[in-house]
Amino acid sequence: MKSSGQAPRGARALIATTLFVASVASTACKSHESSAPAPVPTGPVGSALASPTGAQRLTRSQYAASIRDIFGPEVVVPSAIEPDVATDGFESVGATNSTVSARGVEQYEMAGLAIGNQIVNDEKLRGRILKCRPAAFDDAACARDVVSLVGAKVFRRPLTDAETKALTDIITLTGRSLASFEKGLAYGISRMLQSPMFLYRPSVGEPDPEHAGQKRYTGFELATRLSYFLWDSTPDDALLDAARTGKLGGYEGLDAEVTRMLASPRARDGLRAFVRQWLRLGELDLIQKDSKLFTTYTAELGPMAREETLRVFEDLVFERDADVREVMLTRRTFVTPKLASMYQVMAPSATGFAPIELPADGKRRGLLGQVSFLALYAHPTSSSATLRGKFVREKLLCVTIPPPPVNLNTALPEPTDTAKTLRERVKIHFTNPDCAGCHSMTDPIGLGLENFDGIGRERTKENGVVIDPTGKLDGVDFDGPLTLAQAIHDHPRFAPCITRRAYQFATGTTPQPLEEPTLTALNERFVAAGYRLKPLLRAIATSPAFRTKGAPH
Amino acid sequence: MKTKIHRRTLLRGLISGAAVTIGLPFLEIFGHEKRASAAPDGLPKRFGIFFWGNGVLPDQWVPAQTGTSYALSPTLKILEPHQAKISVVSNMKVPGVNAVPHWSGPIGLLSGAPPLASDPGEFSRPTLDQVIAEGVGADSRFRSIEAAVQPGAMGISRNGPNSQNPAESSPAALFARVFGPEFVKPGSTPIANPTLDVRKSILDAVTSDARALQGVLGATDKQRLEQHLDGVRALERRIQKLKETPPNLAACNVPTPPKPDYPANAGRPPMSEISRAMVDILAMTLACDQTRVFSLWFTHPVNNTLFAGAPAGHHQLTHDEPGAQPEVGKILGQIMTELAYLLSAFDAVKEGDGTLLDHCAILCTSDVNYGRQHTLDDFPIVLAGSCNGALKTGQHYRAPSPDNTSKIGLSLARAMGMTMESFGVGDAKATTGLSAIEV
Repeated sequence: MKSSGQAPRGARALIATTLFVASVASTACKSHESSAPAPVPTGPVGSALASPTGAQRLTRSQYAASIRDIFGPEVVVPSAIEPDVATDGFESVGATNSTVSARGVEQYEMAGLAIGNQIVNDEKLRGRILKCRPAAFDDAACARDVVSLVGAKVFRRPLTDAETKALTDIITLTGRSLASFEKGLAYGISRMLQSPMFLYRPSVGEPDPEHAGQKRYTGFELATRLSYFLWDSTPDDALLDAARTGKLGGYEGLDAEVTRMLASPRARDGLRAFVRQWLRLGELDLIQKDSKLFTTYTAELGPMAREETLRVFEDLVFERDADVREVMLTRRTFVTPKLASMYQVMAPSATGFAPIELPADGKRRGLLGQVSFLALYAHPTSSSATLRGKFVREKLLCVTIPPPPVNLNTALPEPTDTAKTLRERVKIHFTNPDCAGCHSMTDPIGLGLENFDGIGRERTKENGVVIDPTGKLDGVDFDGPLTLAQAIHDHPRFAPCITRRAYQFATGTTPQPLEEPTLTALNERFVAAGYRLKPLLRAIATSPAFRTKGAPH
Repeated sequence: MKTKIHRRTLLRGLISGAAVTIGLPFLEIFGHEKRASAAPDGLPKRFGIFFWGNGVLPDQWVPAQTGTSYALSPTLKILEPHQAKISVVSNMKVPGVNAVPHWSGPIGLLSGAPPLASDPGEFSRPTLDQVIAEGVGADSRFRSIEAAVQPGAMGISRNGPNSQNPAESSPAALFARVFGPEFVKPGSTPIANPTLDVRKSILDAVTSDARALQGVLGATDKQRLEQHLDGVRALERRIQKLKETPPNLAACNVPTPPKPDYPANAGRPPMSEISRAMVDILAMTLACDQTRVFSLWFTHPVNNTLFAGAPAGHHQLTHDEPGAQPEVGKILGQIMTELAYLLSAFDAVKEGDGTLLDHCAILCTSDVNYGRQHTLDDFPIVLAGSCNGALKTGQHYRAPSPDNTSKIGLSLARAMGMTMESFGVGDAKATTGLSAIEV
């Protein structure tokens, strides 16, 4: 059951269900404290086989970040541009097959011109790209200077002479007809920003010297692929230089660049994009909660809760470089006064986010205790054992839950004197064989989280009856949210699922069977690196599969 | 536009996804000459879709009697003032496999085709609004307009596989798009603007960039860029129209601007207020002939909207509410109230000897029949407006045995003046319309 207002596009996974065998033995219970990082094995991981793929459209966040990285962080990028579409749960996958609508073309035109005007009308922004003093409305030399400075950044590759001339001509001809060099420049910028060369990430590839008959991305195409994966933005000058000098063609040079990129502050934006897409946190903008029932609910709660989760990931990956599975168990989180009050802890700061350690004796810990997950995977007036369980199965354990059969009466009994709790009301999900197949996969997990209501507030009773949060996850008993989180943390499918989701995000494809050996090998590297995410991202970015240009689809 | 048929046939003849088959039968409809979409009285005909998610309560929906003298059902009762101008059509079945709840229905109904082989939740062919826009949309400023009431909903208008026309869910944004600075009131003379030629030259440059890429990229990317170029051409036409004096239209007025936003009330989106703002803009968008094809996606398939007064989200209620589902019934009452507002607003716009509504054919439908069980038989369908006399109204037609919904699509396209020989493919293919609704 999907509850969001956006088009659910995960149906493909129904057929491409990926019940791969985890190659990793169940790991022993890890301490919550991060220990010294294990030495990271290096070298390319996996085979050079890759799924067919297409030219990805820039997502909204990539469009905005690219423009700010090219022209300056002060640029206000219009938000009314073509929306992203998720396929198989990832906007990065949807970007490879979706199109731009007629309205989208209009919006890119308006946005491009708005950005162009901002740049020419702001001395600081203009000064960054206009180093010459135009001697005429159609000063070609000056226009060419700007094009040489900016064009290669916008198109993420050197321009051909013909392209340079054409872009220069737009500036000079427009400058002449509108009697203003600056206006010509504004339109020239808008022209670049409307180009499919900018709005898509086209790639044609080149023969792969190491794998006869296959293609790999060219240096500039690979630079682009790396930067939108690791930074959610456009390549910087150093990365384009690395592409130009052929440094990305061999493992050593590539690995050095990837290492530099992961050390850059921009890598946090890449991580945020991954987590936002993987856990569907974008949908927190659209949640509806009955604020008479959930009195703490206000419109800003959803985005605020998303920020908490993103900060927890950032902290784990960049501040502490810790075992990322700790996200299930960590007591460390980041709260605003509003979130602190919902978590019934002292607000560490009067405004904004600040770190706290959740109480050691509390039920709330890790991702499953965060408002983002608890409110998103719930109904507008109640919790949902099914939605929460489905999230755990699909997003964390990579098991696809099929939709319910048709012609099935899905009614649940109302709360009665004898059935006051959700556990009692969803009993039919386990007794009716039409329901039990799937609901026995999802609901027991969600019932383990019934100590959190539909907005994530802690509770011990429902309708006056003490909630029973006990259950079993694939043979492991749990007695509530903490032991459930531990069971997921230790689940043999959890780490391979993180690997799979990261790969899906990185490549913009849903892995095909030919990529399973690569996924297995990547997961081995992830395990060997102590389940730290940066080594996993590094292994993906330097893997032969990531460099291989799959057949166009 | 001599190249158009070839181009769009090419566009839709390719299916993205893993198993690519190049289908010949795509859009055979475009192989046929279109007829003018203007009605005999010279006023344009319009096509629209009004869509809501999560279906109906069948025993509250289907009227008990048939024919022209029938009593509306409890759910439809609120449409009574418009009974003479609507047709209720029942016992129509969406063909195909009910594989993905809430999606198999609209995919089968609106595109007349099975879903993508690689993705049973995705359309393989364009939706009816776009099929009709292809025939009648080229002359107006916007080929089609998509709007949504549910906050953030994108609607499900498709040009083909994975090719959406995202709906505008902000009334202010829709108003700005249609009636913003670039609106030229019919009959008024545009002001010369040198930037129009600049914009045109930029779009030419964008087109050559896209063409260059099409020369080197794979089949799916070529097709995606062609879709992008469709948008570029639409924008070029719009810019060209800014230089022309549009014909005078007596009914056209700039509507009152909507509020900048419509925040939720205690967590509930003000669906009625948003819908009415959208409808008021749409009515004038049509009356000013800015488009001849619109869709209003009241709510999305599977939406869990928290309606005013409802004890839970809509989708949740359709599944969890026991018994006769009175709360679901109340939500349907709210949706039908807004449909009634739309019909009233369109009927209040005088056009020629009739009204805007009389010049429309509006398909009102949902994603399933019975929400609780995701059924696709006896699909909920109301047709509003006579399309200037091309459609029969004032009746409940019940098919004697379950009939193919594609017949309705064919009848509607023909009512709009298109000479299509068929609508739909495979089991869903219809070569005859539904004669009971045709004049």
